[in-house]
Amino acid sequence: MGLLRDWNYIERAVQIPALSEVIREALIRALFVRDDRVLPKDLIADLNRVPPVTVKVKDDGEVRKLVRVLNGEESTLSLGLSAEDYHYFRTQLGVGRTREFGAVVRPRTLLTYDWIVPEQRGVQLDFGGYAGIEFADGAHRAIAQVGATWKQLYDDGAAKGHAVPFVPTVPLDFAIGDAMCGDAPFASYRGEFTSYVNALRTISPFGHRARLGFEEVANNGTAYDLLHATVPLAAEFFIPVAVALRLEAKPAARKTLTYAFDDGAKLAAALDKLSRTSQTPSWVHITEAVAAKILRPAVASGAFTAQVTVGGSASGLAAKEKAIDTAMAGFTSKNAELPNPFDVPADGYRKSAEAVARSLFVGEVRVPAKSFGDFAGKVRTFGDQTAAKAGVYGSLRHTGIVSAFPFFSAPKDRSKVYDLSKGVRAIASRIPGTTFTSRLAHLWEEEAHFMRRMAFLRSLKLTIDTAHVVQPLVSP
Amino acid sequence: MASLDYAYRRLVNTLGPERVARSEFERMVYSHDFASLPKVALLQWKLYPDFVALPQTTEEVAALVKLSDESLLQLTPRGGGTGWYGGSVPNRGGVLVDMRKMNRVVAFDPDGRTVTVEAGMTWKDLEDFVDAKGFALPIVPVNAIGSTVGGSINSGSSGFGAPRGGSLRDAIAVLQVVLPDGTLLKTASEADAGGHLANLTPLFFGAEGTLGIITEATLRIVPKPETSKAIAYAFPSLAAGARFLKEMVDVALVPYHATLASRDHFIFERALHPDSPDPADIALVAVQGSKDEVADQERTVDGLASKEAGAKLAPAVTDQLWRERYNNYSARRLSRGLVTSHNLVPVSRLPEAVETALEIRDKLKLNGAVQAFLVDSTTAALVPYVLMDDTRPSGGTALGFVKRMGDAAFKMDGHSMGLGLFLVFNLRKMHGRATSFISAVKVVFDPRKKINGGKTLEVWTKYPWPGLRAIPPPGMAVGLEIAAVLRRAKPTRDRFVRAYEHGKEE
Repeated sequence: MGLLRDWNYIERAVQIPALSEVIREALIRALFVRDDRVLPKDLIADLNRVPPVTVKVKDDGEVRKLVRVLNGEESTLSLGLSAEDYHYFRTQLGVGRTREFGAVVRPRTLLTYDWIVPEQRGVQLDFGGYAGIEFADGAHRAIAQVGATWKQLYDDGAAKGHAVPFVPTVPLDFAIGDAMCGDAPFASYRGEFTSYVNALRTISPFGHRARLGFEEVANNGTAYDLLHATVPLAAEFFIPVAVALRLEAKPAARKTLTYAFDDGAKLAAALDKLSRTSQTPSWVHITEAVAAKILRPAVASGAFTAQVTVGGSASGLAAKEKAIDTAMAGFTSKNAELPNPFDVPADGYRKSAEAVARSLFVGEVRVPAKSFGDFAGKVRTFGDQTAAKAGVYGSLRHTGIVSAFPFFSAPKDRSKVYDLSKGVRAIASRIPGTTFTSRLAHLWEEEAHFMRRMAFLRSLKLTIDTAHVVQPLVSP
Repeated sequence: MASLDYAYRRLVNTLGPERVARSEFERMVYSHDFASLPKVALLQWKLYPDFVALPQTTEEVAALVKLSDESLLQLTPRGGGTGWYGGSVPNRGGVLVDMRKMNRVVAFDPDGRTVTVEAGMTWKDLEDFVDAKGFALPIVPVNAIGSTVGGSINSGSSGFGAPRGGSLRDAIAVLQVVLPDGTLLKTASEADAGGHLANLTPLFFGAEGTLGIITEATLRIVPKPETSKAIAYAFPSLAAGARFLKEMVDVALVPYHATLASRDHFIFERALHPDSPDPADIALVAVQGSKDEVADQERTVDGLASKEAGAKLAPAVTDQLWRERYNNYSARRLSRGLVTSHNLVPVSRLPEAVETALEIRDKLKLNGAVQAFLVDSTTAALVPYVLMDDTRPSGGTALGFVKRMGDAAFKMDGHSMGLGLFLVFNLRKMHGRATSFISAVKVVFDPRKKINGGKTLEVWTKYPWPGLRAIPPPGMAVGLEIAAVLRRAKPTRDRFVRAYEHGKEE
């Protein structure tokens, strides 16, 4: 969300080569925390401005019309607003002035933090009311409008005989669209969210309906796979309105096995071993004590808890459980009855999500499973040093990587977010094979190939969005 | 444009005389890929490259790319030449870059579970390498013996292991690509294990060598399964076999691989190898896991097969089928040529799809077989092939089959695979209004259309003159449709294989 816009803004700001190395990091900090000792007041006022108009989307036709108004193809008259709204809309957008204005999709739930450079004069699209889900008959596929919540998809899918393979590593009440316009961390044991995206229904910067990918099948062999290259940044290239998702059949039997560990090193060894077996659980969710207390306040938990959900035939489940027990050797206790964070009633899920959302999250760290204990320990120590009690949610991938989300019980002010992000970055840099992939980490990164890739993405955005309507890039 | 002799001297100075070819025979070898082309195609394309270059290092590839700025010769990268739609065949001559000499393992990282190889290595060699190290590849393209790592990535291939191991796209950690300006690009961050930090790899997946030349790929590897087992069943009809594959998806069984081949395929095999399995519509399933799990999965698969009256084949036959799993097109030896049509269709419509393929084959009076395999929980690959004798004037009309099959796949909410030189007319059918987004990728990476130009998005001819320089893609579609009509009008059915059926009658 806003990554290209933020990155472009920073790049433009540090164009003077002699200064770039000196000021880049300091500038990012100043922009992020809105530091009025470093930046002029006008600039800070600009950065603090929020999009003046919010449109609650009920139909994608409205978005098409709006885009055509924003790119100048149609007059604001065609919006059919009342005289009062019409005047407000035009005044707020600054229609008739020279400055560009665009449309930006507002995520339902943001895990980490808002973008540095907000939409200056444009329209914010709220897809909260655009939340239908259509399941295919006889096939394991759903088309979810971007406002539909993950929980709604998960529950409705199960009721119709499908299994939604991906779950949010941090169990917040995300909308499906948050994976494209926000930072929802959906994933399964076997793949990232993008692996389950068959197609995106979008509104192009010219107001047309355009479908990327194929709703019923994978898009292999159809030229450049723009779909999977842009899913996490889709809302910067076009306006995604619905997503076709690949689901799986609901297995005949399903079981969540909860393993408690008293030691991070033992958990790490178990996770590494599990990922080296041919087991394919649906997902493996990891919490350390602080996270476990938030998710399951009524249950006493050990230092670390790993929940493994497996599905299969009733007869085959026993064999899977046995194999997973062997891989997870070192656990202090095992419980096959403890509910997991996802298979709870919707109200309970939302309540738990509210509790989870109170923490301050800085983004994702991808850490080798065998180093997870070390990472969690370092995060806890860092939290103690900064008087911000720390914890971690994580999920294991079959590649042997844990996608970890450290969090802190600290006020969510921007300087705190920045300082804690820097701390987590320092921890990640001390553990071999570990990468911090938050949005701030993207802005800090200066590796040559990375910079080139970002430049290509920017060119691609500018080539696709020649009308400068979808989160148009801005310069200081 | 520099003279060809000058260009040759520059190429020889760069690679050495032993790795630059310009004799007619050598150039002829590279004038087609797996698909045979009728001679008439030479009227519109210069299919013979001017030179064939065989680089051995990334630096040499970069030098070739820079050299093309001087010579203004088109570059056409090529792997094993197992494609079927002209993606690796020149359309205006130029320099064909055969990557097969770049076939080394660059790095093996058992801790990070990756292997880095040069793009010209074949999948079979790579599979053998990782197998010897105690690992496995999550996915192996169907033509593993001939197809190269770079070639399959450029084709957007699927293959063995896809239901369990996922897409080949997801198995790629990083690609190293020589871009059209001669510089190197790593498509993802080496430190990032999840494809974040601006991952451009998907853009090169299925790019058909039109964005740059892939020289190295870092691929994910997985631990070898504790146990794996192949099981095969003969079904009373191809549709029954297809329903069996669909059922597997519907009961949430995730096999390592599940493939189906029609009886005709085994008739062709029998004509070539008398010891091949008795012809039938056969499904081959491979399952993996712990010993107990494999036994349980086998029971489930047995149950599903018996519902469709599938008869389990003897273990010796199954082993033979599994051993020969990468040999899919030996029937080519019967007819001198073979045309394959690669399509993706919804799993839910696979029974209809296989019957449609047989119908189209019969309507066009062709000899051919149908193969299909599961790709994921929504997608199945439908890969029928027909035999074609390109030495006869009517041979080329068999290409009409590809057009008809692609149309059928689109009607079933699927799509044909590959665009290359011959199937560009499908681009708009595939992407509709998003075609302009797709085209934007080429504009950004190769605005001068230097690498494999005139393919995938447009169809260049060999003529550089305005008005003749490109064929409107729908024109190609009309041409293939005419081929299909001519084929249908042909009075007799092809009969490349008689021995087996005659033997049965006697």
